[in-house]
Amino acid sequence: MHLGIKRLGVPMAATVLGLTSLAGMATTAAQASSKPTYTIAYEGPLSGGNQQLGLNMKYAVQLAVNQANSGSTFGSLPFKLKFTPADDGGSATQSPTTAQGLIDNKSVVAVVGPAFSGATKAAEPSFAAAHLATVSPSATAPILADEGWKNFFRVVADDNAQGPADATYAVQKLKAKGIYTVDDASSYAVGLVSAFDAKATSLGAKITHQQAPGTTQCQAGTGNVQEYGALATQVQQTHDPVTFYAGYYCDFALFAKALRAAGYTGQLMSDDGSLDPHYVSQAGTSVAAKTVLSCACTNLGNSSADKAFSSGFKKLAGFPVGTYSAEAYDAANTIISTLKKLGNKSISRAALVTALHKAVYPGLTKRVHFLSNGNIAGSTVYEYQVQNGKIVELGPVTQLVG
Amino acid sequence: MCFTSNFWNLVVSGLADGFLYALIALGYTLVYGVLQLINFAHSEVFMSGGFASYFVLRAAMGSSTPHGIASVGFVVLGVLAGGTGGALVAFLLERIAYRPLRRRHAPRLAFLISAIGASYFLYNLAGKEFGRNALEIPSPFTNGPVFTIFGAVVQTYYIVIAISAVVMLVLVDRVVAVTKLGKGIRAVAQDAETASLMGVNIDRVISQTFVVGGILGGAAGFLFGLSAGVVFTMGFTPALKAFTAAVLGGIGNIRGAVLGGLLLGIVENLGVACTQASWRDVIAFGILVLVLMIRPTGILGERLGRSA
Repeated sequence: MHLGIKRLGVPMAATVLGLTSLAGMATTAAQASSKPTYTIAYEGPLSGGNQQLGLNMKYAVQLAVNQANSGSTFGSLPFKLKFTPADDGGSATQSPTTAQGLIDNKSVVAVVGPAFSGATKAAEPSFAAAHLATVSPSATAPILADEGWKNFFRVVADDNAQGPADATYAVQKLKAKGIYTVDDASSYAVGLVSAFDAKATSLGAKITHQQAPGTTQCQAGTGNVQEYGALATQVQQTHDPVTFYAGYYCDFALFAKALRAAGYTGQLMSDDGSLDPHYVSQAGTSVAAKTVLSCACTNLGNSSADKAFSSGFKKLAGFPVGTYSAEAYDAANTIISTLKKLGNKSISRAALVTALHKAVYPGLTKRVHFLSNGNIAGSTVYEYQVQNGKIVELGPVTQLVG
Repeated sequence: MCFTSNFWNLVVSGLADGFLYALIALGYTLVYGVLQLINFAHSEVFMSGGFASYFVLRAAMGSSTPHGIASVGFVVLGVLAGGTGGALVAFLLERIAYRPLRRRHAPRLAFLISAIGASYFLYNLAGKEFGRNALEIPSPFTNGPVFTIFGAVVQTYYIVIAISAVVMLVLVDRVVAVTKLGKGIRAVAQDAETASLMGVNIDRVISQTFVVGGILGGAAGFLFGLSAGVVFTMGFTPALKAFTAAVLGGIGNIRGAVLGGLLLGIVENLGVACTQASWRDVIAFGILVLVLMIRPTGILGERLGRSA
């Protein structure tokens, strides 16, 4: 079945595109030239518990498409763009079906997404067989780049970038000689913490590591909230000046509270899973104070382009930009700029994949340029800190330790 | 040595956990005493108490940070609010989920399904109504180290748990031992049919038993939520542990539930001293299985309703 698509996909896409342009000619007969229509899709969770993340990205892609059609971002284009959202619920079981729907829609030339790593891993074999480019704003699992999928791209650094960057910050900036690391037993946290431990050890720090499974209280595993009391006692005994937690904000808040209650006064650090205002509200302002959090993502600045995006997004979505909105916008615009470069000839899916490998686009979050495995070139990790109850960006790790 | 360096610290945090387990375990043991039924929806009684105290304390305290006697007042208010919320839900559970089945002499399995159904209904309802993120109960006191015992730091929070729990446990022990209600509970537990011939109103006694268990479970929900926050899934693990504690001490036996709770709390905490946090449940349940192999009826034995 996949083979069939592989053989037939491209010619069929071309035929359909040809028909579309004919239809366009018929309706706009008065115009001198007819423009082909290309569809850019978004795949991510648009329902379920994590739908907010999906919506943050969906409206950003939609905005990019609207702006391109109106000519405000790329000037006059030799084609028209359409946008279609596809809901995979963030789930790896649903994702292949959602992906097949997009593959079967022959006007789709590229997909922004899938949003989640698990969903991406499940859908990517089908996308790859159809030579359909996917540019994920948020799938960070390192393994995705190792599968040899030519059509896979992401505009966010993977988890292998974050752990070592955090370790560098802890050892070189905070001057920690001993670091206590804890992970929540999720595959995300286990990968992150092992990268952290390896880097910190190589920089000369002494690592004590423990695993504390995410709790049922936080719907993050099978652990018990009470595990944190004893764990905090053990951390306190070591007097390590830094404690690094790999996991998500809900459990990190519980652990942080237990640490402070046990009298631990060291520096608390965590990752992008904890980069959420809920961490501060659940741990309490005084417990969360000075906690350092990291992310391979950056806040939008005050440049006119950043502001225009924020206000345009809010007008379209009805809520302000959120996590990974700007990354999704960059992903969509990278695709559009590449389409523009390919010009007014009929563009096949495979041709777009090839062109994306050479693309360079100055985005809001970073200069978008892909490595041959689809990873973003130059992965900057930023540190944030809780100050007066707010999460404030400190800057890129490379600058902070420099 | 791993065991000795943290010993007293772990005993102190273990006792705090244990008191919570004991309070919840009593709800299981009392209901088992009169009905020979494990009320698997008790975890949601615990959760309801947590939410009730959250709403009451938030309304009563606003954004103030109380000290001294006001702190004590708000803790008492929280315990009462949690207890009332728990009692109300336990009462309704008995009326809606169990009594109709009892009237129709349904088989035991039907009660079990009804209990699990009620539990799923309640926690999903709470998740839908109150959101999926944990809500923070405004703290009636500022938590911190108060004194040290054998080098172990004792926090304000532990003291609040210990005092609240001891007061409630002694009260329940006395209520069951000397009051008319207690006599009723013990009579129904020993032989429901004979008790009814003697003029004991069985339905009322069962209802009151649920309410007493609900008060303790709800108050435990408040004490637990003080540190961890309240959320729809909060009841799952603590209630499972408390059920374990009740069986460990001897199900149906009030003092057994308290002993089982304290023992489980301490064993869990000491168990991780030489290993890792992820071994906690493995050790706790391993010990439970060992104890039950030697004493299948629990440490103090099943003595239905005969508490004192």
